[in-house]
Amino acid sequence: MNSTLVSIVIFNIVMALIVSLVFVPVLVWMERRVAGFMQDRLGPNRCNIAGVRLGGLVQSFADMLKLVFKEDYRAGAVKEKMLFTLSPVIVFATAYLSFMAIPFADDLVIDDKSYIMQALPMEFGMLWILAFAGLGIYGLMLGGWASNNKYSLLGGIRAAAQVVSYEAVMGLSIVSMLIVYGSIHMGDMVRFQGNLVWGFIPAWGIIVQPVAAILFIITAFAETNRAPFDIAEGESEIVGGFHTEYSAMRFGLFFVGEYIAMGVASALIVTLFLGGYQIPWLNTEVLKNNITTIFAVLIVTIPILSYMFAGWIKKNNVWLDKNDARNRETKWLITGIVIINIIIILFLGIFLLFGIGENGVNISVAALQVMTFVVKLLMMNFFFIWVRWTLARFRYDQLQNLAWKVLLPIAIANVFITGTFVVMLGV
Amino acid sequence: MGVKIVPRHGDSLKEKLYLLAIVGGLKVTFSHFMKNLKDTSNIETICYPEEQPKDITSRYRGVHRLTKREDDSVRCVACFMCATACPAECIFIEAVEREDGVDEKMPSKFSIDLLECVFCGGCVEACPCDAIRMDTGIFSFVKKNREDFVLDRDTLLSHKPMKGSN
Repeated sequence: MNSTLVSIVIFNIVMALIVSLVFVPVLVWMERRVAGFMQDRLGPNRCNIAGVRLGGLVQSFADMLKLVFKEDYRAGAVKEKMLFTLSPVIVFATAYLSFMAIPFADDLVIDDKSYIMQALPMEFGMLWILAFAGLGIYGLMLGGWASNNKYSLLGGIRAAAQVVSYEAVMGLSIVSMLIVYGSIHMGDMVRFQGNLVWGFIPAWGIIVQPVAAILFIITAFAETNRAPFDIAEGESEIVGGFHTEYSAMRFGLFFVGEYIAMGVASALIVTLFLGGYQIPWLNTEVLKNNITTIFAVLIVTIPILSYMFAGWIKKNNVWLDKNDARNRETKWLITGIVIINIIIILFLGIFLLFGIGENGVNISVAALQVMTFVVKLLMMNFFFIWVRWTLARFRYDQLQNLAWKVLLPIAIANVFITGTFVVMLGV
Repeated sequence: MGVKIVPRHGDSLKEKLYLLAIVGGLKVTFSHFMKNLKDTSNIETICYPEEQPKDITSRYRGVHRLTKREDDSVRCVACFMCATACPAECIFIEAVEREDGVDEKMPSKFSIDLLECVFCGGCVEACPCDAIRMDTGIFSFVKKNREDFVLDRDTLLSHKPMKGSN
C-alpha cells in the first residue's frame, strides 16, 4: 500500500460518488428545466440561498430536504415491513454499485506502475454490470408486492415483465459488442474505441455496430423505467405504480435510485458505444505526445468559452425586482468565472513554461479524459431527458410486441451477422 | 356516392421503422429548447408577483369601484337598485339625505362583501346613474381576516379605473 495507490483509489471512489450521487440533484434540475424549456415554460427558478439560484439548481436541494424531513408514513396494511423497507435500498444500492465498473480514464501510469481508473479496479466490468442490472428489478418487484396494494402490485408486475423482456434483448446486443471488442474488461473496450476505422473515423461502438447501439439505447430506456417505457409507474392508470405506498425518504431512495440508474445507463452507453473517455481522434498516445499543444489550445479556448458563457448569464439571469438579492447573483457568478479562468490559465501557463514530468503528462491526460467522460455522460443524460419529454408512453401490449417481435429477432440476427463477419475476417 | 376513403397510415416501411418519426419529434422539442435556452425572454411565462399580467381586457370584471361626479363627490344616489339586483346579497347600503343640493340622497355607508360577491356584474348593469363599475382590473385581493374583505364606501371610492378603460 503506497500513497499513490491510496490516493488514486480515493479519487476513483470520489469520482464514482460524484457521477452517481452528486449528479442526482443536477439531473433532477436538468430534467425540470429542460422539460420547461421544451414546453416553452420556465421551470423552477425562484428558490435561492442568499440570492444564489444557480439557474434553479437550489430547488433540487430544497426538494431533497423536504423528502428527508417529511413524515415517513407506512400504511397499517403493509405486513411485510422488512421487505417494504428493503426494496428502495435494493434499488438504490444496485444502481449505485453498477457505477463501480465504469472507467473514468485510461489506465494511469505513475512511476511505471499502471492503475485502473475505476472505482473498483477489476477486469470483469461487463459481468459486474450485467449482474447488478438484473438485480435492481428485485427492488421494484418486492416494493410492489410488499405494499399490499393492488396498484403497487400491478406496477411491480409490469416492471418485472418489462425488464425480463428487455433484458434478453439488452444481453444479446451486449453479446454482439463483446464479439467485436473481444473482452469483458471495460477499459479494453474503450481502448478499442480509440482506434480509427479506415484511418479517419473514430472506431466508436455506434459506428462499428450501429444496430447494437440502437438496440442497446432502446433497452436501456426500458431497463431504467423511463419514458417512453415508464408503464411501471403509469400515473394515468395505476396511481404511482410500485411506489404508491411510499413516502418521505423511502420514496426518496426510489427516486434517487431511478436517477442513478439513468446515470448508469448513460455511462454504459457512453462506454460501450460513444467512445467512453476518448476524445475523438485523440487517443491516449496522441494526447501524451501533444500535451503542450493541447495546453496551448486550452489556454485560448477556455477564456473565449467563458466569455460567451458570461454573456449568456448576463442576458438571461435577471430578476424583475431590481432590489431583490437574486439580482446580485450575476455579478458573483461572473467574478467566480473570472477567478476560475485566472487559476486555470496560471496553472496551464506554468506547465507550458516549465514543463511537467512524465507523471505530470500522464495525470493531465487522465484529467482531460475524466472531463471528457463527464461531458459525454451529461450529454447522454440530456438525451434521456430529451426523449422523455418528446415521446408518449407505450401501451403495455405495444411494449411487449416491440421487445419480443421486433427487437429480439433483430438482436439475434445481429449477433449471427457480427459473428460471421468476425470469423470470416479473422480479426 | 358520398363515400370518402380515408387513407390509412402506418403501413409503409418508413412509418413502421418509427425511428424517423422519433427523430422528427426530437427535432421539434430540441428547437424549442434551444430557442428558449438562448434567450429566456422568449418564454411567455409571467413571473407572477413581480410581473403582473398585461392582458386583462377592459371588459374584465375586477373588484368594484364607486365613481365620482365632476366635483369629486360620490355619484351614487342610494337608490338600492344594485343591492336589489345582487344575486349574492353582498351589497349593504345606508342612505342619508344629501345636504349640498347636488342631489337628494347619497349613501352614508356602502359596503361590498367580497367573500359573498360572485362578480356577476349585475350591480353595474342595474345602476341607473353609472355610479358603480367593475373596471379596476383588480383580480387579486388577499386579506388577513374576514372583516377586511368587506370594502367600505371610502375604499370603493379610492379604487382607480384600470389603464386603457374608461
